[in-house]
Amino acid sequence: MLNRVTNLTMNLAAQRTLQTQQAKLAELQDKATSLNKISRPSDDPAATAQALATRSLQAANAQYGRNIDDGNTWLTAADSALEQATNVMRRVKDLAVMAGNDALPQSGKDAIALELKSLNQDLVSIANSKHLGRNIFAGNSDADVSFSNTVPPTYNGTGISAVERRISATQTVRVDADGEEIFGNGAGSVFAAVQSIADTLTGGSAPGVAQLTKLDDGFKNIVNGRAEIGTRQAQLERAGNLNTEMEASLDAQRTGIEKADLGSVIMDLKLQETNYQVALAATAKVLQPTLMDFLR
Amino acid sequence: MSTFGALNTAYRGLTAAQQGMNVAGQNIANAATEGYTRQRVQQSAIGAPAPGMFTSGTVQTGQGVSVDAIARLGSSVLDASVRSASAQAGYAGMRSTALQGIEGILQEPGDNGISAALQGFWSAWQGAANQPSEDGPKGLLLNAANSLTNKISSAYQSLQGQWSSVRAQASDAVDAVNAAASQVAAYNATIRSTLNAGGNANELIDARAKLTDTISRLAGGTVREQPDRTVDVHIGGNALVMGTSVRELELSGSQAGDALGATVQLLWKNPPGVASSDGGEIAGALSVLAPAASGGAIAAAAESYNKLAGALATAVNAVHRTGETGTGATNADFFSLSATGPAALGIKAPTSTDDIALKAQNSGALDTGIADQISQLGTGAASPDKIWSGIVTGIGVQSRGAQQAEALTSAAQASAVTGRASQASVSLDEENVNLLTNQHAYQAAARVMTAVDEALDVLINRTGLVGR
Repeated sequence: MLNRVTNLTMNLAAQRTLQTQQAKLAELQDKATSLNKISRPSDDPAATAQALATRSLQAANAQYGRNIDDGNTWLTAADSALEQATNVMRRVKDLAVMAGNDALPQSGKDAIALELKSLNQDLVSIANSKHLGRNIFAGNSDADVSFSNTVPPTYNGTGISAVERRISATQTVRVDADGEEIFGNGAGSVFAAVQSIADTLTGGSAPGVAQLTKLDDGFKNIVNGRAEIGTRQAQLERAGNLNTEMEASLDAQRTGIEKADLGSVIMDLKLQETNYQVALAATAKVLQPTLMDFLR
Repeated sequence: MSTFGALNTAYRGLTAAQQGMNVAGQNIANAATEGYTRQRVQQSAIGAPAPGMFTSGTVQTGQGVSVDAIARLGSSVLDASVRSASAQAGYAGMRSTALQGIEGILQEPGDNGISAALQGFWSAWQGAANQPSEDGPKGLLLNAANSLTNKISSAYQSLQGQWSSVRAQASDAVDAVNAAASQVAAYNATIRSTLNAGGNANELIDARAKLTDTISRLAGGTVREQPDRTVDVHIGGNALVMGTSVRELELSGSQAGDALGATVQLLWKNPPGVASSDGGEIAGALSVLAPAASGGAIAAAAESYNKLAGALATAVNAVHRTGETGTGATNADFFSLSATGPAALGIKAPTSTDDIALKAQNSGALDTGIADQISQLGTGAASPDKIWSGIVTGIGVQSRGAQQAEALTSAAQASAVTGRASQASVSLDEENVNLLTNQHAYQAAARVMTAVDEALDVLINRTGLVGR
């Protein structure tokens, strides 16, 4: 059927065209102001699923970043504690060597013994260092101190799990240090070794080889512990770098999924504005004349 | 032919032209009236009388013009196509609106959605794990848990609200159908009696067609014209209007008594029975109101919120039970679910930070193994996050489909309406031409009358005067 055109059909068509053009314009304007490609799931269900997954990865990544920062403060605290311990041990070792000199009078031995005892106290207080109110060297124990103030000091964290921080979905890193491995426990501890040398000196004899070996072993354990902390710090640093890179790449990914390209949106908007104006002008021209305009 | 026959012919021409101008005037006056169908004068030439016994030999002319009727130039085929298209558009429009409403409740993707709350919740476990001896991070964890459960339950409540409002719309639509049906019946009566008395019912038929359009948009149905020019309206094969009688519709249940999950049916009132709807807004509304098992979109969305709440509680509690809370209790749940009612409304986080189990049983007091394990629950294949993402995508796909159906059916409706308008609407140019034609016809008929008058004058006043 050949369509009969009347004023009403022309009006209807004009209204519909203007309405569609205006709807497109509004949609593009919304897109240009918010720059959101997806404002509702139905805009693109598949991309919505991706966006949700990316957002959840981002949130997890941000939390891993915070965990890494927190872990770093722990390791730094442990490192500085062990640095002090190393310094103390160095002095202890000097004194032990000095005490080995047979020519040393008893008064000298007494003085060295006194200094060794006070250094030993320093060492115990270093081993009891805390970070944010928690023992660095006693794992997840909530004991007041890592090493009880007995003679020789006993370790309070035996058999208790380590403090760990999650740095990625698959990885956790230990951020404390094992006090028992580094300082030993009870009679086998480095504190006992220092104490025994001091006691020997007070008793008037020079420290024996076995005692010095024990001291050396204790020193070695502290240095080893510090080295291990260093490797874990390096691991955290790598994880931190990865985390930052991941943050940037996830951000780029999400922007790609959710955000519209400004240039193309602006171009589309301009084009649509022109389209709309053309539609308005054409409508104004078409709707004006009727036969009445031409009859007398 | 009689002496005055030509005068009579001219008079008939005058009245026909006058009728033509009247109808053109009526058309022009209603050029913008909604639902108006253009009219035409139907006229025919009156033939010459049959030759009588003594008239043979003379050729006779016809006896002028006769106005037979004023025709309404509608097309029942085009009317039917508009009705069926608007029934489909009403159905699709209702569904699309409802699904977009469900989608709006999701608030995804965004910072206010459930996925953001889930992420906040998992992160909060790690935050608490970083400082197990402090109450602050644990408080934040409870906060995150509460915000998550609040979001789930408030979304569920929004769905309940949406269900009620769609039911109210459906109920209003049923009332509107009943009102329109009784008006159609009333028009049927008037049209029948008007036509029987030989009157013109064109405008009444227009008004009735508008009402049947409304019924189709709301409830679908078919319209059958009867020989006496009344129409019957059938919905689902049963008569809503038959002649002048109406069988009203109603919804099962009541607005106050029904809630999300109830079955809503379209029923005949008297005699009672179940009505099957043919499309239209009511059918669209009923399809989204249906229970989840029958594919009702709102109930299905609500069901998926319950599923999420259940999965979340199960996953978290399973790990949480293996831990030890701040008070030393073991085998304790984190989320509690109420035994009755929907899980989405019954899921609750603990109120005290002492009820959180960060540590594994028989481990150091500041152990955080459980917290770490729970914080990783969001990453698994069957994790609440994945379930939620599936729900969002599912609703998105459904809504997209409904929107496309709406766009398609409304385009079809627009084209059906244009098709009908192109047949039925008034063209001002056409009416102007008709007006001119009739005007000239009137003038010419008047001229004929003058000519005959003058001829008769000659015959009557000037003949027989020879030699006077």
